[in-house]
Amino acid sequence: MFTQVLVGAIAIGSIYGLVALGYSLIYTASGLMSFVQGELLMLGSFMGLTFYKYLKIPFYFALPLTMGCLFLIGVIIERYIIRRLQKAKTNLIFIVVATIALSIILKNFAMLAWGSNVFQFPPIFSVSLLKLGKVRIQPESIMAIVIALLVMIILHLFMTKTRLGTSMRAAAQDPIAAKTMSINVNRTTALTWGIASMLTGVGGILIGPIYGVSAEMGTLIGTKGFAGAVIGGYGNMYGAIVGSLLLGIIETFMAAYVSSMYKDFVSFFTLIIFLIFIPRGLFKGKVYGD
Amino acid sequence: MDNILKPKSSSSFQIKWIMLIILGGVLPFIFLGDPYVLILLCTTEISIIAVSGLDILFGYCGQISLGHAGFYCIGAYTSAILSRNLGMPVFITIPIAGFFAMIIGILLALPAAKLVHHFLALVTISFGEIIYLFVSQARGLTEGYTGMNFIPRPKIGGIIFTSNTSYYYVIYGILVILLALKQNLVASGTGRAFVAIREDAHAANGMGINITKYKTMAFAISAFYTGIAGALYAHLIGFISPETFTSNQSTLFLTMLLFGGMGNFWGPIIGSAILVIITEFLQKLGSYQMLIYGAILLLVIIYIPGGISKGLNLQLFFKKSKRGKIAC
Repeated sequence: MFTQVLVGAIAIGSIYGLVALGYSLIYTASGLMSFVQGELLMLGSFMGLTFYKYLKIPFYFALPLTMGCLFLIGVIIERYIIRRLQKAKTNLIFIVVATIALSIILKNFAMLAWGSNVFQFPPIFSVSLLKLGKVRIQPESIMAIVIALLVMIILHLFMTKTRLGTSMRAAAQDPIAAKTMSINVNRTTALTWGIASMLTGVGGILIGPIYGVSAEMGTLIGTKGFAGAVIGGYGNMYGAIVGSLLLGIIETFMAAYVSSMYKDFVSFFTLIIFLIFIPRGLFKGKVYGD
Repeated sequence: MDNILKPKSSSSFQIKWIMLIILGGVLPFIFLGDPYVLILLCTTEISIIAVSGLDILFGYCGQISLGHAGFYCIGAYTSAILSRNLGMPVFITIPIAGFFAMIIGILLALPAAKLVHHFLALVTISFGEIIYLFVSQARGLTEGYTGMNFIPRPKIGGIIFTSNTSYYYVIYGILVILLALKQNLVASGTGRAFVAIREDAHAANGMGINITKYKTMAFAISAFYTGIAGALYAHLIGFISPETFTSNQSTLFLTMLLFGGMGNFWGPIIGSAILVIITEFLQKLGSYQMLIYGAILLLVIIYIPGGISKGLNLQLFFKKSKRGKIAC
């Protein structure tokens, strides 16, 4: 029982972690929160479903295809909405409201396109349950953990070892200094949004087989990813992962051993407690200031 | 009342009020008391009250709230429960509803006054969700998803305001008082403190403005307005259910405010009036409704950032006053 719950908790925690990473990346690059993330996760889920179930594209090919589509969506959002508003010197809060408007549009668009039912994601593996002695584990959970871990390691290597990743971090840290070092800040910011959106899309396609796919799913999971990012320290990439894993573990164990009714409540409660008492999170993110 | 309505050395002030009073007083006659149109007019008035509340918080004090449906809900349920279940007179329960929403607003401000931007947005969203979950779950008190029926209309002595026309004038009276109070507040020291916080919290702090205190005040006053609006709504329709108070309602209030224009007198009025009409047309479209709100919100932010009232530059009609400069 314990191992089973733990695997489930880490699987869901690492999916939240992907979403939280998206929030953190966007925050460091543009200094704002994008409410679109949750809906992008939902879009990723639906795209995965469409590619895999209806177009019969094999999963290992549907995954990169979805990632590519979401990368493009992320870049488009940054290029045509966010950058435009930032150039017009719009107050930060209006940009946040613009992302809320966008999330409403995407959510309702998805409802019109795919309906408001919950879709079952067809199983990816031929075995429905892995048996290791007494422990039974959903292979999709293992897949979620492995893929999320892989993506995180690749992201870490990309951000620290490659030239482009380093210039992205430099541009996020100090745009003006980065510009003088001939870094194209516009391009790195767009790239960051693209990557953030792509990570969220991966989260979406991984959570599909575990929870099912619906147009309403984005808001809740998006908020939980945000909670994970806040717990870890907003704007800190590694904090986001740790915070989300912690949230996944708290939430899943609460559901397994106490009551599944209070699962979502616990996440919101943890978020509010952190926002009130430890707003900088475990890894000292930025919350205050204007 | 004399003190509140006293013109403060500006002609635009008088024109504004004369226009509003004549317009509001005459409207029901233009439509010959058509009950359908009157319901729309009443809804517009209620929206104006709620959006004015949001305007005080967001437009003047610069603190975003995406959970105003929560206060709207608290107001509606408080007044409905007190008047229907306990038989209290409606004219007493409406202010009680406002004050109760105010108390909850102060409680919300405890964490919210410390936060900025998206953190504040998220806390207020959570607040709205919590209130929604509460009214849909607490069946003993609110009858859950079934909703509350037979909420009475107000009465004084022997007069019951059952017809929509008479109730329209009840709301209208409250609306004028609340708008007058709002204008007074905005022009007062408190209002200027709000604007100072909106413009630059650090500088305001340096000038000796107690930021936490004024933010809490803004939340409280805003909650009061929206609570009153909720109570009036409950007695207008006579039926409330949690479905009315979802996060969509909060988004709608915000769209009205941004569409009309923030931090001025006409913004909430124009925004509410136009969006109530649009909503009415969109009823036929059903599920496209929220899609179109989202699109309006996004387009307004991108193309008319000051809202309609600034886009049309109403200030030109009413010679620019000192008040106008502070407000904008």
